[in-house]
Amino acid sequence: MKVRAKKIELVRSPWLELAVMFVVVILSYIALLLISRGAAIPPGGMALTSITWLLFGFFLLSFAIAIIAVLAGIGGGVIFTPIMLAFTPVDSLIIRATGLIVAMFSGLVSTGPFMKSGLGNLKLSIYSCCGYGIGGFIGAQCALWVAGRMGATGEGLIRIVLGGIVLAIAIYFLWGGVKREWPEVKKVDHFTQRLGLPQPYYEQSLGKVIDYRITRAGWGLLAMCGVGLISGFFGLGAGWAIVPVMNLIMDVPLKVAAASSGILIGMGDCITVWPYLLAGAIIPLFVAPWLVGQVMGGIIGAHVLIRVRAKSIRYILIGIMIFSSFGLVTKGLVSLGYISSVPGAVQVAVLLIIMAVVALAITGKLPQFRGGRRDL
Amino acid sequence: MKETKNYFIQSRPQLIYGRCIYWLSIVAAMICAIGPVIAVEFPSRNIMDPHYLFYSIWEGKTAEAVWQEVGGGFPGGHFWLHNLTGGDGFIQFGLVLGCSCACIALIGTAIAFLREKPRATGWALVSLWVASLIALAALGIYHV
Repeated sequence: MKVRAKKIELVRSPWLELAVMFVVVILSYIALLLISRGAAIPPGGMALTSITWLLFGFFLLSFAIAIIAVLAGIGGGVIFTPIMLAFTPVDSLIIRATGLIVAMFSGLVSTGPFMKSGLGNLKLSIYSCCGYGIGGFIGAQCALWVAGRMGATGEGLIRIVLGGIVLAIAIYFLWGGVKREWPEVKKVDHFTQRLGLPQPYYEQSLGKVIDYRITRAGWGLLAMCGVGLISGFFGLGAGWAIVPVMNLIMDVPLKVAAASSGILIGMGDCITVWPYLLAGAIIPLFVAPWLVGQVMGGIIGAHVLIRVRAKSIRYILIGIMIFSSFGLVTKGLVSLGYISSVPGAVQVAVLLIIMAVVALAITGKLPQFRGGRRDL
Repeated sequence: MKETKNYFIQSRPQLIYGRCIYWLSIVAAMICAIGPVIAVEFPSRNIMDPHYLFYSIWEGKTAEAVWQEVGGGFPGGHFWLHNLTGGDGFIQFGLVLGCSCACIALIGTAIAFLREKPRATGWALVSLWVASLIALAALGIYHV
């Protein structure tokens, strides 16, 4: 009886679609390998076998990013964009546009389960999207404007500013920042009251229904415009900013804010991504494996690995972000002509120092930091 | 919203939005998984020849230059409409589907809001407003 129940479970969502996707992806890469064997290489062109392995590498990287992102409780864009901008020669506009796709699909894939469980608040997401979407759209247009007019200077400046932002996010993750799991709302303003945003949900950890209140929706909307602007300009998912806005300004419970931020990123980036898509900054064959990896990694992470969230992942992620920040700033300074290229030995030394600190943190030999927010 | 033994059955708009987004993003991912096979099997049908594409990207060329060198210029974001049998056109279709899924889901959500009792007309309008923002962005009405 139990075996039969288990079998029935395996042919239901999400296992069924996950199995179908796995089969499609595996068959696709087998087909790619078979097609590329013995195919002619045009003069000056890349062999199809190399293209296949490159696509497969992108897929695996994206899959890994999605899983790390779920384990660390963040969006994939925050990992993808800084790493690619810091350590590859690919044009920043192409990376930021692809990063937005990564962030968007990271959010889209988490939407279904969050909506079903009630942890995500649809009305709050739609309302916030009115600000986030417009901000993101303006941010994307600004990015295209800067790319078209500022050339190498713009590229350098973008990398330095993003390096600063990524470092700030890493420090914020390290110290945890201010967080209020269950904010106490004493007074709800008239505007927020009329919106009727709250939506009760069943909190499994407490075994009861949580009926929360939300306030200061007007200020929240304004802040969302700013968050969207940064997200759209830099091609980052902005869960690290959306959650504090919802939690600290609008008094949304932390878990609801974290879930709704994923939904909002998926929804809002559907507006933000279009200027990039219509300007040709999204190159289909380059984006495809990143997208597929995000969707598959996101589903697996959300349903399987979410139970095994490891604290050490957070430290590894912070290490990656600090090293990416170093790479971004130095690459930006090189682009602007302030320094000559950074020697490989210096890069390796910085990487080793960061790895050593991360190892100490994982083994508990570093001073304990307060909290640490894992639900961003 | 009904309460069962230990779980809330969510409101219909919420469930409709979640289901639409989930399935559309999975379909978009499947299209993007199959697209590269078509691109490699029939390179001549692509706008951009995959043999030269990745070199060009890896040399740090701008998106505009990549399209110009490899594909003879960017044919517009909706080139998939005329090139659905080509690999990159097919992938672009998947991307467009994924990037529009919130629009489709929000239209369904708006209908669900209108069918709720009591009718949530305000939320239906806000949903349609966000859906129209996505549609306007997709049509490229405002563009630098």
